[in-house]
Amino acid sequence: MAGMTEAQPVYSVEDLVIDLYTPTVSVRAVDGVSFGVRARETLAIVGESGSGKTVSTLGPLGLLPEGVGVDISGTAQADGKNLVGMDSARLSALRGSYFGVIFQDPISALNPMLKVGPQLAEQARRFAGLSRREARKEAVSLLARSGIPDPEDRYHRYPHEMSGGMLQRVMIALALASRPKVLIADEPTTALDATVQAQILDLIRHIQRDNNIAVILITHDIGAVAAVADRVVVLYAGQIAEEGSVLDVLTGPVHPYTRGLLASVPDFRADERAATREIPGLPPNQTTLEPGCRFAERCGFVEPQCRVHRPPLATIAATGVPHRVACPVVVRREGIAVNA
Amino acid sequence: MPETAAIEVKGLKVHFASRSRAGPVRAVDGVDLTIPHGAFHGIVGESGCGKTTLARTIVGLQKETEGTVLIAGRDRGEWLRSDRKSFSRKVQFVFQDPLGSMSRRQTISQTLEEPLQIHRLGSSAERRKRVAELLDLVALPQTVLDRLPRSLSGGQRQRVSIARALALKPSILVCDEPLSALDVSIRAQIVNLFTSLQRQLGLTIVIVAHDLAIVREVCSEVTVMYLGRIAEAGATRPLFREPAHPYSQALLSAVPSPDPRVESGRRRILLAGDPPSPSNPPSGCRFHTRCAVALDVCRVDQPVLRAAPHGGLAACHLADERHRPIVEARNS
Amino acid sequence: MSAALANMRKWPWPVLSPVIVFVLVGIFAPLIMRYDPGAQDYEATLEGMSWAHWLGTDYLGRDVFSRIVGGARISLVAMSIVLVAALAIGVTIGSFAGYVGGRVELVLISIIDIALALPSLVIALALIGILGTGYWSMITALTLAWWANYARMSRAVVTAELQQPYIEAARVMGASHLWIFVRHILPHVLALVVVYASADAGALVLAIATLSFLGLGVAPPTPEWGQMLVDGMSYIEEYPRLVILPGLALTLVVVSFNLLGEAFALQKVPRPVKGSALRGRRQARIHEEEERSAVERSGWPA
Repeated sequence: MAGMTEAQPVYSVEDLVIDLYTPTVSVRAVDGVSFGVRARETLAIVGESGSGKTVSTLGPLGLLPEGVGVDISGTAQADGKNLVGMDSARLSALRGSYFGVIFQDPISALNPMLKVGPQLAEQARRFAGLSRREARKEAVSLLARSGIPDPEDRYHRYPHEMSGGMLQRVMIALALASRPKVLIADEPTTALDATVQAQILDLIRHIQRDNNIAVILITHDIGAVAAVADRVVVLYAGQIAEEGSVLDVLTGPVHPYTRGLLASVPDFRADERAATREIPGLPPNQTTLEPGCRFAERCGFVEPQCRVHRPPLATIAATGVPHRVACPVVVRREGIAVNA
Repeated sequence: MPETAAIEVKGLKVHFASRSRAGPVRAVDGVDLTIPHGAFHGIVGESGCGKTTLARTIVGLQKETEGTVLIAGRDRGEWLRSDRKSFSRKVQFVFQDPLGSMSRRQTISQTLEEPLQIHRLGSSAERRKRVAELLDLVALPQTVLDRLPRSLSGGQRQRVSIARALALKPSILVCDEPLSALDVSIRAQIVNLFTSLQRQLGLTIVIVAHDLAIVREVCSEVTVMYLGRIAEAGATRPLFREPAHPYSQALLSAVPSPDPRVESGRRRILLAGDPPSPSNPPSGCRFHTRCAVALDVCRVDQPVLRAAPHGGLAACHLADERHRPIVEARNS
Repeated sequence: MSAALANMRKWPWPVLSPVIVFVLVGIFAPLIMRYDPGAQDYEATLEGMSWAHWLGTDYLGRDVFSRIVGGARISLVAMSIVLVAALAIGVTIGSFAGYVGGRVELVLISIIDIALALPSLVIALALIGILGTGYWSMITALTLAWWANYARMSRAVVTAELQQPYIEAARVMGASHLWIFVRHILPHVLALVVVYASADAGALVLAIATLSFLGLGVAPPTPEWGQMLVDGMSYIEEYPRLVILPGLALTLVVVSFNLLGEAFALQKVPRPVKGSALRGRRQARIHEEEERSAVERSGWPA
């Protein structure tokens, strides 16, 4: 991991603010989020529903569901270009060649009327610039590399002939077909059984190693983060609560939300019977923008200033990868050193 | 006086007819299970293992193809036929989808009062009092009474459906994946609720679950199912510490720890391929096609549940004394 | 139901009023009529509007106003009887088919489909051919022609609702089939059926008028608008009001019922509608969010 912090991020967003609106209601889904990911690095973006983890990652790529108005400001840098404000044609081209996306629901990414193989080959031809024959070989190779047994046979199968785990692998293969620099996995394991989840996570680990790509993992599964990610960003109600290396954040969380989240996830292998502690209350209503920290309502450490000023992200002492926390209260109370 | 078990399942088979070329879907294919009173029993397994079908069959939402289900010593089918109402006062069910399991046109107050009305319990005023008690029991504010289900959050709805299940003061509560539809931090709340309810009311709880970490937290005993049969069963902690069945080992190995130090250090067992279809299960031991340590006998003979080192049962030939020499030879 | 009453101000009064007037006139007809609608007065045939006869008289000297009012009553009563009977038969058969399922359902569906294959009026005509003419055979014929649609709708609603998990939940609670049907399913059935029936009522009034026009329904001298139309046809050139007045009454009632049915449907089934409806739903959504926040805030430890 040494030397990683000096490398340039392959994809980075800065001060991202995304508003979603329908005729009846408007929501600030992402409220000033910045993160970046380098080659050969896996960044996990963690949060629950409403945290903005999906919107902040897929939003700049133009991959949000139809029917909802989107307002993006800030920058999203990929390949030297800013995705925010880019027209849809250029965005689509850049998206196809630079990014690979794995969705939670594999069925939605594949055309059910076409065989699986040709869909992969098409992707490879379009974005990796391969010839027809090369693309076909590449497709079979991708299927094999995604852990699909009998890839020659599977090339000719339709999506509905495959199981959930198999489809997920096909989608991973599809994402890799364009030889992207960044692989984005949006809750790739949520719809899968435990043993298949383990297989997919293992696959993602291997892919990253073999292909030198950057991986962004969007998830609410802390276990998956611990298994696969190098760095983690914890989002709450559209804002960053904490970020840092997986080791620092998961073993030494500082932000009250992070602590609460980790405490509410029972550790399967811990011997002591730590009672599963719950975070009282519910995620905030994001249609009304209240000043101050979004977590104040549910926070055990809340002080009057928390409801007035939005807590800034402070860098606390850490080894190698910067560990940042948006909670001056805890930092002060526990005497944690702060880097300027 | 011998303790009759709360739930006793013998030779249960539940097969669904299927129009496709393959045979019937053998959702549950020979299950023997005993759950004592006061237990907090978890049933785990992956999709297609039959755990949901088993749970539904126990409470009578599903008819068995073969075998018997005894509730407190009495045959469930006969009980339902003769006195449906008294059965529902003994055994209750919590569904996986809290929104779907409530009528969307009824307020929470009406939803909670309904079981009391069906059984004509108490006067109108007494019923309202009981409804208020139920809300307290599940830690919900009285203000939800006039709300419709859709204006409640997932966690609140699940609390309501638990409260409704408890309205008739059952002694047995069967829950079908009650946590799956909830956010991670809300799950902890509901889990703690279950634990405290069990302590308070002395319930026997059977919970079909996906999340092994939570099962380990709260369940006193666990049953692991694979493709319609029981792979392993026993007290939770000992079983999880030392699983005897290769499938349980793989399943438990698949659960990642939230601690990255533990994660990077541990050895993982990865299964090859996908689970076979329940309409066409493999011969012999159903797991043999994906088992890393399968012996020849596994292809032919379906193993029965026998004593496992952790004190429970495992359906694996490797646990059998007779095959010990082969296993030892292989491991050396 | 209480919610509906609470929203009375939001009811579609412009459309509801003619219908209400029709119903009131029908009910209080004997009190409003000034003359016996069948009373003939050869001294005063074909008179124009006057204080004595507000809308004039017809070719037999009968008071047109009283005949219109009387016709309202006849239409109202006949329509109500047919509607109630058709609903009772249709909802019962349809719900039974949907609930029981299996072969019984298949048989009943076939019967319903056959009954729906032909237009209601054609069936009614055929039945009148068998039963003969007259008030009660018209009622019977129309009932038998009208029930099938309600059966079809009821069956569809019952089938759809039965698949919902909350029905299973009710079974687990020990509810009997009857309880489930009456408490959970019937309201859905009625909601749909009422909407349809409110528009259907207009079609029914028209059907009654049509049959009477053809001489197959209400027999003279009982006043009925369709019959007044056929009576007045011979005088249409010189005394058009004999046709215009019953025609107008008929049109007004039928159109009002149609619009009423539509108004019901629009309110019960949310659809993207511009203007006030959208504002209303936005308010409802904000209200819901507030409620939810209020629920969260109360009763939770800090």
